[in-house]
Amino acid sequence: MLLWPITILNEVNFCALGSIGLVAGLLGSMLGVGGGLLIVPILTLALHLPIKVAIASSLVAIVANSCTAAGMYTKARLNNIKLGLLLETATTPGAIIGGFIAAVIAPSILSALLGFVLIYAAYTMLVRPYFMTEDTMSADDAITTGSISHNLSSSLASSYYDQNLDKAVNYKVNRLPAGLGVSFFSGVLSSLLGVGGGIINVPVMHLIMKVPMKAAIATSTFIITITAAAGALIYYYYRHIYLFIITPLTIGMVIGARIGVELTQRAGGLVLRRIFGALLLLIAVMMFLRTVNVI
Amino acid sequence: MKIMEHRNLKESRLNNWVSFALRLGVAVSLALIVIGFIILLITSDANDIHPLASLDQIPAAIVISVGILILLLTPIIQVIAATVFFLIVRDRLFICISVAVFCFAAISLVLALI
Repeated sequence: MLLWPITILNEVNFCALGSIGLVAGLLGSMLGVGGGLLIVPILTLALHLPIKVAIASSLVAIVANSCTAAGMYTKARLNNIKLGLLLETATTPGAIIGGFIAAVIAPSILSALLGFVLIYAAYTMLVRPYFMTEDTMSADDAITTGSISHNLSSSLASSYYDQNLDKAVNYKVNRLPAGLGVSFFSGVLSSLLGVGGGIINVPVMHLIMKVPMKAAIATSTFIITITAAAGALIYYYYRHIYLFIITPLTIGMVIGARIGVELTQRAGGLVLRRIFGALLLLIAVMMFLRTVNVI
Repeated sequence: MKIMEHRNLKESRLNNWVSFALRLGVAVSLALIVIGFIILLITSDANDIHPLASLDQIPAAIVISVGILILLLTPIIQVIAATVFFLIVRDRLFICISVAVFCFAAISLVLALI
Protein backbone atom coordinates (compact mmCIF):
# COMPACT_ATOMS: atom_id res chain seq x y z
CA MET A 1 0.00 0.00 0.00
CA LEU A 2 2.86 2.34 -0.72
CA LEU A 3 1.82 5.81 -1.84
CA TRP A 4 4.80 8.04 -1.00
CA PRO A 5 6.82 7.41 -3.12
CA ILE A 6 4.98 5.42 -5.80
CA THR A 7 6.78 2.11 -6.30
CA ILE A 8 3.96 -0.18 -7.40
CA LEU A 9 0.58 0.47 -8.89
CA ASN A 10 -2.25 -0.59 -6.61
CA GLU A 11 -5.79 0.66 -6.13
CA VAL A 12 -4.58 3.41 -3.79
CA ASN A 13 -2.04 4.74 -6.26
CA PHE A 14 -4.56 4.54 -9.10
CA CYS A 15 -6.88 6.66 -6.93
CA ALA A 16 -4.00 9.05 -6.12
CA LEU A 17 -3.18 9.52 -9.81
CA GLY A 18 -6.86 9.93 -10.70
CA SER A 19 -7.29 12.49 -7.92
CA ILE A 20 -4.26 14.48 -9.09
CA GLY A 21 -5.74 14.56 -12.60
CA LEU A 22 -9.15 15.52 -11.19
CA VAL A 23 -7.80 18.42 -9.10
CA ALA A 24 -5.52 19.63 -11.92
CA GLY A 25 -8.36 19.52 -14.45
CA LEU A 26 -10.78 21.19 -12.02
CA LEU A 27 -8.48 24.07 -11.06
CA GLY A 28 -7.05 24.36 -14.55
CA SER A 29 -10.42 24.90 -16.18
CA MET A 30 -11.72 27.12 -13.34
CA LEU A 31 -8.68 29.39 -13.48
CA GLY A 32 -7.85 29.17 -17.17
CA VAL A 33 -4.24 28.12 -16.62
CA GLY A 34 -4.27 24.50 -17.77
CA GLY A 35 -3.63 21.55 -15.53
CA GLY A 36 0.00 20.96 -16.49
CA LEU A 37 1.22 23.54 -14.00
CA LEU A 38 0.02 21.30 -11.18
CA ILE A 39 0.49 17.79 -12.58
CA VAL A 40 4.26 17.83 -13.10
CA PRO A 41 5.18 19.25 -9.65
CA ILE A 42 2.74 16.96 -7.81
CA LEU A 43 3.88 13.82 -9.66
CA THR A 44 7.51 14.62 -8.92
CA LEU A 45 7.21 16.06 -5.40
CA ALA A 46 4.47 13.82 -3.97
CA LEU A 47 4.74 10.59 -5.95
CA HIS A 48 8.51 10.85 -6.59
CA LEU A 49 8.18 9.99 -10.28
CA PRO A 50 11.10 10.94 -12.53
CA ILE A 51 10.43 14.44 -13.88
CA LYS A 52 10.62 13.35 -17.53
CA VAL A 53 7.95 10.68 -16.93
CA ALA A 54 5.85 13.32 -15.13
CA ILE A 55 6.22 15.74 -18.08
CA ALA A 56 5.30 13.05 -20.62
CA SER A 57 2.25 12.02 -18.54
CA SER A 58 1.22 15.65 -18.18
CA LEU A 59 1.44 16.24 -21.93
CA VAL A 60 -0.84 13.28 -22.73
CA ALA A 61 -3.38 14.41 -20.11
CA ILE A 62 -3.22 17.94 -21.56
CA VAL A 63 -3.98 16.57 -25.06
CA ALA A 64 -7.13 14.89 -23.73
CA ASN A 65 -8.18 17.99 -21.83
CA SER A 66 -7.45 20.50 -24.58
CA CYS A 67 -9.12 18.35 -27.28
CA THR A 68 -12.28 18.22 -25.16
CA ALA A 69 -12.22 21.99 -24.54
CA ALA A 70 -11.25 22.85 -28.13
CA GLY A 71 -14.14 20.72 -29.43
CA MET A 72 -16.55 22.77 -27.28
CA TYR A 73 -14.97 26.12 -28.23
CA THR A 74 -14.95 25.20 -31.93
CA LYS A 75 -18.60 24.20 -31.84
CA ALA A 76 -19.37 27.56 -30.19
CA ARG A 77 -17.27 29.29 -32.93
CA LEU A 78 -15.15 31.09 -30.32
CA ASN A 79 -11.77 30.06 -31.69
CA ASN A 80 -9.99 31.33 -34.79
CA ILE A 81 -8.93 28.15 -36.58
CA LYS A 82 -6.91 29.94 -39.27
CA LEU A 83 -4.93 31.89 -36.65
CA GLY A 84 -4.51 28.69 -34.64
CA LEU A 85 -3.11 26.81 -37.64
CA LEU A 86 -0.76 29.66 -38.46
CA LEU A 87 0.64 29.79 -34.91
CA GLU A 88 0.91 25.99 -34.88
CA THR A 89 3.52 26.30 -37.65
CA ALA A 90 5.67 27.83 -34.88
CA THR A 91 4.52 25.98 -31.74
CA THR A 92 4.72 22.46 -33.26
CA PRO A 93 8.41 22.59 -34.32
CA GLY A 94 9.02 24.35 -31.00
CA ALA A 95 7.45 21.41 -29.19
CA ILE A 96 9.59 18.90 -31.12
CA ILE A 97 12.76 20.84 -30.30
CA GLY A 98 11.64 21.23 -26.67
CA GLY A 99 11.23 17.46 -26.42
CA PHE A 100 14.75 16.89 -27.74
CA ILE A 101 16.19 19.52 -25.37
CA ALA A 102 14.41 17.87 -22.42
CA ALA A 103 15.99 14.54 -23.35
CA VAL A 104 19.52 15.87 -22.92
CA ILE A 105 18.93 18.25 -20.03
CA ALA A 106 19.53 17.24 -16.39
CA PRO A 107 16.33 16.68 -14.37
CA SER A 108 17.47 19.24 -11.80
CA ILE A 109 17.58 21.95 -14.49
CA LEU A 110 14.07 21.02 -15.62
CA SER A 111 12.90 21.33 -12.00
CA ALA A 112 14.48 24.76 -11.69
CA LEU A 113 12.98 25.95 -15.00
CA LEU A 114 9.57 24.72 -13.92
CA GLY A 115 10.06 26.63 -10.65
CA PHE A 116 10.56 29.89 -12.59
CA VAL A 117 7.47 29.25 -14.75
CA LEU A 118 5.43 28.56 -11.59
CA ILE A 119 6.61 31.86 -10.10
CA TYR A 120 5.50 33.69 -13.25
CA ALA A 121 2.09 31.96 -13.09
CA ALA A 122 1.82 32.76 -9.35
CA TYR A 123 2.63 36.41 -10.12
CA THR A 124 -0.23 36.66 -12.62
CA MET A 125 -2.59 35.07 -10.10
CA LEU A 126 -1.56 37.20 -7.11
CA VAL A 127 -0.79 40.58 -8.70
CA ARG A 128 -3.02 40.56 -11.78
CA PRO A 129 -5.70 38.04 -10.79
CA TYR A 130 -8.12 38.92 -13.60
CA PHE A 131 -5.52 39.10 -16.34
CA MET A 132 -6.35 35.76 -17.94
CA THR A 133 -10.10 36.13 -17.64
CA GLU A 134 -11.14 39.56 -18.87
CA ASP A 135 -10.61 41.68 -21.91
CA THR A 136 -8.30 44.62 -21.35
CA MET A 137 -9.55 46.25 -24.52
CA SER A 138 -12.99 47.03 -25.78
CA ALA A 139 -14.60 45.21 -28.66
CA ASP A 140 -14.17 48.39 -30.74
CA ASP A 141 -10.38 48.30 -30.17
CA ALA A 142 -10.38 44.79 -31.49
CA ILE A 143 -11.97 45.85 -34.75
CA THR A 144 -9.72 48.69 -35.78
CA THR A 145 -6.28 48.52 -34.21
CA GLY A 146 -3.47 49.23 -36.69
CA SER A 147 -3.08 46.04 -38.62
CA ILE A 148 -0.45 44.93 -41.10
CA SER A 149 -2.41 45.24 -44.28
CA HIS A 150 -1.80 42.23 -46.45
CA ASN A 151 -3.73 39.16 -47.49
CA LEU A 152 -2.73 36.94 -44.60
CA SER A 153 -3.76 39.46 -41.96
CA SER A 154 -7.11 40.14 -43.59
CA SER A 155 -7.86 36.45 -44.02
CA LEU A 156 -7.21 35.94 -40.30
CA ALA A 157 -9.84 38.52 -39.35
CA SER A 158 -12.71 36.78 -37.63
CA SER A 159 -15.71 37.29 -35.39
CA TYR A 160 -17.57 35.57 -32.59
CA TYR A 161 -20.78 36.13 -30.73
CA ASP A 162 -20.21 37.46 -27.18
CA GLN A 163 -23.09 36.34 -24.96
CA ASN A 164 -22.25 38.87 -22.21
CA LEU A 165 -22.16 41.80 -24.62
CA ASP A 166 -25.06 40.33 -26.62
CA LYS A 167 -23.42 41.24 -29.91
CA ALA A 168 -20.97 39.95 -32.50
CA VAL A 169 -17.35 40.99 -31.95
CA ASN A 170 -15.28 41.46 -35.11
CA TYR A 171 -11.51 41.62 -34.87
CA LYS A 172 -8.34 41.71 -36.93
CA VAL A 173 -5.03 40.11 -36.04
CA ASN A 174 -1.97 42.34 -35.63
CA ARG A 175 1.80 41.88 -35.47
CA LEU A 176 2.00 38.36 -36.88
CA PRO A 177 5.84 38.06 -36.95
CA ALA A 178 6.09 38.89 -33.22
CA GLY A 179 3.25 36.47 -32.46
CA LEU A 180 4.91 33.67 -34.44
CA GLY A 181 8.27 34.26 -32.74
CA VAL A 182 6.89 34.08 -29.21
CA SER A 183 4.68 31.11 -30.18
CA PHE A 184 7.78 29.13 -31.11
CA PHE A 185 9.16 29.82 -27.62
CA SER A 186 5.78 28.78 -26.15
CA GLY A 187 6.01 25.44 -28.02
CA VAL A 188 9.52 24.80 -26.69
CA LEU A 189 8.45 25.59 -23.13
CA SER A 190 5.30 23.48 -23.38
CA SER A 191 7.21 20.38 -24.40
CA LEU A 192 10.22 21.07 -22.19
CA LEU A 193 8.20 21.38 -18.98
CA GLY A 194 4.88 19.62 -19.70
CA VAL A 195 2.75 22.74 -19.36
CA GLY A 196 0.11 23.52 -21.95
CA GLY A 197 1.55 26.80 -23.13
CA GLY A 198 -1.61 28.81 -22.49
CA ILE A 199 0.22 31.04 -20.00
CA ILE A 200 2.23 32.35 -22.97
CA ASN A 201 -0.17 31.87 -25.91
CA VAL A 202 -3.04 33.79 -24.36
CA PRO A 203 -1.07 36.94 -23.37
CA VAL A 204 0.69 36.93 -26.76
CA MET A 205 -2.54 36.76 -28.74
CA HIS A 206 -4.33 39.25 -26.50
CA LEU A 207 -1.63 41.84 -25.79
CA ILE A 208 0.56 41.63 -28.91
CA MET A 209 -1.82 40.43 -31.61
CA LYS A 210 -4.84 42.27 -30.18
CA VAL A 211 -7.15 39.27 -30.29
CA PRO A 212 -10.08 39.60 -27.83
CA MET A 213 -9.53 37.54 -24.66
CA LYS A 214 -12.32 35.02 -25.25
CA ALA A 215 -11.09 34.27 -28.76
CA ALA A 216 -7.47 34.16 -27.49
CA ILE A 217 -8.29 31.56 -24.81
CA ALA A 218 -10.30 29.43 -27.26
CA THR A 219 -7.62 29.63 -29.98
CA SER A 220 -4.90 28.84 -27.43
CA THR A 221 -6.75 25.66 -26.46
CA PHE A 222 -6.89 24.70 -30.15
CA ILE A 223 -3.13 25.32 -30.52
CA ILE A 224 -2.30 23.34 -27.36
CA THR A 225 -3.91 20.17 -28.77
CA ILE A 226 -1.31 19.63 -31.47
CA THR A 227 1.57 21.24 -29.57
CA ALA A 228 1.13 18.91 -26.60
CA ALA A 229 0.57 15.91 -28.91
CA ALA A 230 3.82 16.60 -30.82
CA GLY A 231 5.67 16.96 -27.51
CA ALA A 232 4.14 13.76 -26.10
CA LEU A 233 5.15 11.82 -29.23
CA ILE A 234 8.77 12.94 -28.76
CA TYR A 235 8.65 11.74 -25.14
CA TYR A 236 7.23 8.47 -26.48
CA TYR A 237 10.28 8.24 -28.75
CA TYR A 238 12.44 8.44 -25.62
CA ARG A 239 10.19 5.84 -23.88
CA HIS A 240 8.99 8.13 -21.10
CA ILE A 241 5.31 7.25 -21.69
CA TYR A 242 3.91 4.80 -19.12
CA LEU A 243 0.35 3.75 -19.88
CA PHE A 244 -0.82 2.93 -16.38
CA ILE A 245 0.30 6.28 -15.00
CA ILE A 246 -1.31 8.17 -17.87
CA THR A 247 -4.62 6.29 -17.76
CA PRO A 248 -5.99 7.30 -14.32
CA LEU A 249 -4.40 10.74 -14.69
CA THR A 250 -6.13 11.41 -18.01
CA ILE A 251 -9.51 10.08 -16.91
CA GLY A 252 -9.33 12.21 -13.74
CA MET A 253 -8.28 15.33 -15.64
CA VAL A 254 -11.07 15.15 -18.22
CA ILE A 255 -13.69 14.62 -15.47
CA GLY A 256 -12.17 17.46 -13.40
CA ALA A 257 -12.18 19.84 -16.35
CA ARG A 258 -15.85 19.10 -17.04
CA ILE A 259 -16.77 19.79 -13.40
CA GLY A 260 -14.58 22.92 -13.44
CA VAL A 261 -16.47 24.39 -16.39
CA GLU A 262 -19.72 24.00 -14.44
CA LEU A 263 -18.28 25.41 -11.19
CA THR A 264 -16.74 28.42 -12.94
CA GLN A 265 -20.21 29.91 -13.30
CA ARG A 266 -20.60 30.12 -9.49
CA ALA A 267 -17.09 30.39 -8.09
CA GLY A 268 -15.76 33.45 -6.25
CA GLY A 269 -12.99 34.16 -8.74
CA LEU A 270 -10.70 36.64 -6.96
CA VAL A 271 -10.22 34.71 -3.70
CA LEU A 272 -9.78 31.43 -5.56
CA ARG A 273 -7.17 32.87 -7.92
CA ARG A 274 -5.19 34.39 -5.02
CA ILE A 275 -5.24 31.14 -3.05
CA PHE A 276 -4.10 29.27 -6.15
CA GLY A 277 -1.38 31.88 -6.72
CA ALA A 278 -0.07 31.33 -3.18
CA LEU A 279 -0.19 27.56 -3.73
CA LEU A 280 1.80 27.87 -6.96
CA LEU A 281 4.38 30.00 -5.14
CA LEU A 282 4.73 27.30 -2.47
CA ILE A 283 5.09 24.60 -5.13
CA ALA A 284 7.72 26.73 -6.91
CA VAL A 285 9.77 26.94 -3.70
CA MET A 286 9.49 23.17 -3.30
CA MET A 287 10.64 22.66 -6.89
CA PHE A 288 13.73 24.79 -6.17
CA LEU A 289 14.38 22.80 -2.99
CA ARG A 290 14.09 19.62 -5.06
CA THR A 291 16.59 21.07 -7.53
CA VAL A 292 19.22 21.35 -4.78
CA ASN A 293 18.20 17.97 -3.28
CA VAL A 294 16.95 19.45 0.00
CA ILE A 295 13.65 17.56 -0.33
CA MET B 1 -22.24 42.16 -47.23
CA LYS B 2 -22.62 39.06 -49.39
CA ILE B 3 -18.86 38.48 -49.20
CA MET B 4 -19.00 38.59 -45.38
CA GLU B 5 -21.95 36.18 -45.29
CA HIS B 6 -20.14 33.81 -47.66
CA ARG B 7 -17.03 34.01 -45.48
CA ASN B 8 -19.02 33.35 -42.30
CA LEU B 9 -20.67 30.36 -43.95
CA LYS B 10 -17.26 28.96 -44.94
CA GLU B 11 -15.86 29.52 -41.43
CA SER B 12 -18.91 27.83 -39.95
CA ARG B 13 -18.35 24.75 -42.12
CA LEU B 14 -14.65 24.68 -41.16
CA ASN B 15 -15.62 24.87 -37.48
CA ASN B 16 -18.07 22.01 -37.91
CA TRP B 17 -15.45 19.79 -39.57
CA VAL B 18 -12.77 20.46 -36.96
CA SER B 19 -15.17 20.21 -34.03
CA PHE B 20 -16.48 16.85 -35.30
CA ALA B 21 -12.93 15.48 -35.73
CA LEU B 22 -11.98 16.58 -32.21
CA ARG B 23 -15.06 15.32 -30.43
CA LEU B 24 -15.08 11.98 -32.27
CA GLY B 25 -11.37 11.42 -31.57
CA VAL B 26 -11.69 12.22 -27.87
CA ALA B 27 -14.84 10.12 -27.46
CA VAL B 28 -13.32 7.04 -29.11
CA SER B 29 -9.96 7.33 -27.35
CA LEU B 30 -11.41 7.97 -23.89
CA ALA B 31 -13.86 5.09 -24.34
CA LEU B 32 -10.97 2.74 -25.17
CA ILE B 33 -8.84 4.06 -22.28
CA VAL B 34 -11.71 3.58 -19.79
CA ILE B 35 -12.56 0.10 -21.16
CA GLY B 36 -8.87 -0.91 -20.98
CA PHE B 37 -8.64 0.44 -17.44
CA ILE B 38 -11.72 -1.54 -16.37
CA ILE B 39 -10.30 -4.72 -17.98
CA LEU B 40 -7.05 -4.07 -16.09
CA LEU B 41 -8.81 -3.71 -12.75
CA ILE B 42 -10.90 -6.85 -13.33
CA THR B 43 -8.27 -9.17 -14.78
CA SER B 44 -4.90 -8.12 -13.35
CA ASP B 45 -3.44 -8.18 -9.92
CA ALA B 46 -2.62 -4.50 -9.81
CA ASN B 47 -0.37 -4.96 -6.80
CA ASP B 48 2.16 -6.72 -9.00
CA ILE B 49 2.46 -3.91 -11.53
CA HIS B 50 5.47 -1.67 -11.26
CA PRO B 51 4.49 1.75 -12.60
CA LEU B 52 7.51 2.02 -14.88
CA ALA B 53 7.58 -1.63 -15.96
CA SER B 54 7.04 -2.98 -19.46
CA LEU B 55 3.41 -3.85 -19.87
CA ASP B 56 3.49 -6.00 -22.98
CA GLN B 57 2.17 -9.06 -21.18
CA ILE B 58 -0.96 -7.38 -19.88
CA PRO B 59 -3.95 -7.62 -22.31
CA ALA B 60 -5.51 -4.38 -21.06
CA ALA B 61 -2.36 -2.54 -22.15
CA ILE B 62 -3.18 -3.15 -25.81
CA VAL B 63 -6.62 -1.55 -25.50
CA ILE B 64 -5.21 1.40 -23.53
CA SER B 65 -2.31 1.78 -26.02
CA VAL B 66 -4.74 2.04 -28.95
CA GLY B 67 -6.78 4.59 -26.97
CA ILE B 68 -3.71 6.73 -26.19
CA LEU B 69 -2.54 6.48 -29.82
CA ILE B 70 -5.95 7.64 -31.12
CA LEU B 71 -5.86 10.46 -28.54
CA LEU B 72 -2.44 11.65 -29.76
CA LEU B 73 -3.59 11.29 -33.39
CA THR B 74 -6.77 13.32 -32.85
CA PRO B 75 -5.07 16.75 -33.18
CA ILE B 76 -3.35 15.50 -36.36
CA ILE B 77 -6.70 14.28 -37.74
CA GLN B 78 -8.20 17.73 -37.11
CA VAL B 79 -5.36 19.26 -39.16
CA ILE B 80 -6.11 16.77 -41.97
CA ALA B 81 -9.80 17.74 -41.77
CA ALA B 82 -8.83 21.43 -42.04
CA THR B 83 -6.49 20.68 -44.97
CA VAL B 84 -9.24 18.84 -46.87
CA PHE B 85 -11.60 21.73 -46.20
CA PHE B 86 -9.10 24.29 -47.56
CA LEU B 87 -8.55 22.05 -50.61
CA ILE B 88 -12.29 22.05 -51.31
CA VAL B 89 -12.61 25.84 -50.97
CA ARG B 90 -9.29 26.29 -52.84
CA ASP B 91 -7.65 28.49 -50.20
CA ARG B 92 -4.05 27.99 -51.35
CA LEU B 93 -2.44 29.95 -48.52
CA PHE B 94 -4.07 27.87 -45.82
CA ILE B 95 -3.55 24.63 -47.73
CA CYS B 96 0.19 25.39 -47.42
CA ILE B 97 -0.09 26.40 -43.75
CA SER B 98 -2.10 23.32 -42.71
CA VAL B 99 0.16 21.00 -44.74
CA ALA B 100 3.17 22.53 -42.95
CA VAL B 101 1.57 21.84 -39.55
CA PHE B 102 0.73 18.31 -40.66
CA CYS B 103 4.34 17.71 -41.74
CA PHE B 104 5.71 18.85 -38.36
CA ALA B 105 3.20 16.61 -36.55
CA ALA B 106 4.02 13.72 -38.91
CA ILE B 107 7.73 14.06 -38.05
CA SER B 108 6.98 13.62 -34.35
CA LEU B 109 4.65 10.70 -35.12
CA VAL B 110 7.24 8.92 -37.29
CA LEU B 111 9.89 9.44 -34.59
CA ALA B 112 7.56 7.98 -31.96
CA LEU B 113 6.82 4.88 -34.02
CA ILE B 114 10.39 3.97 -35.04
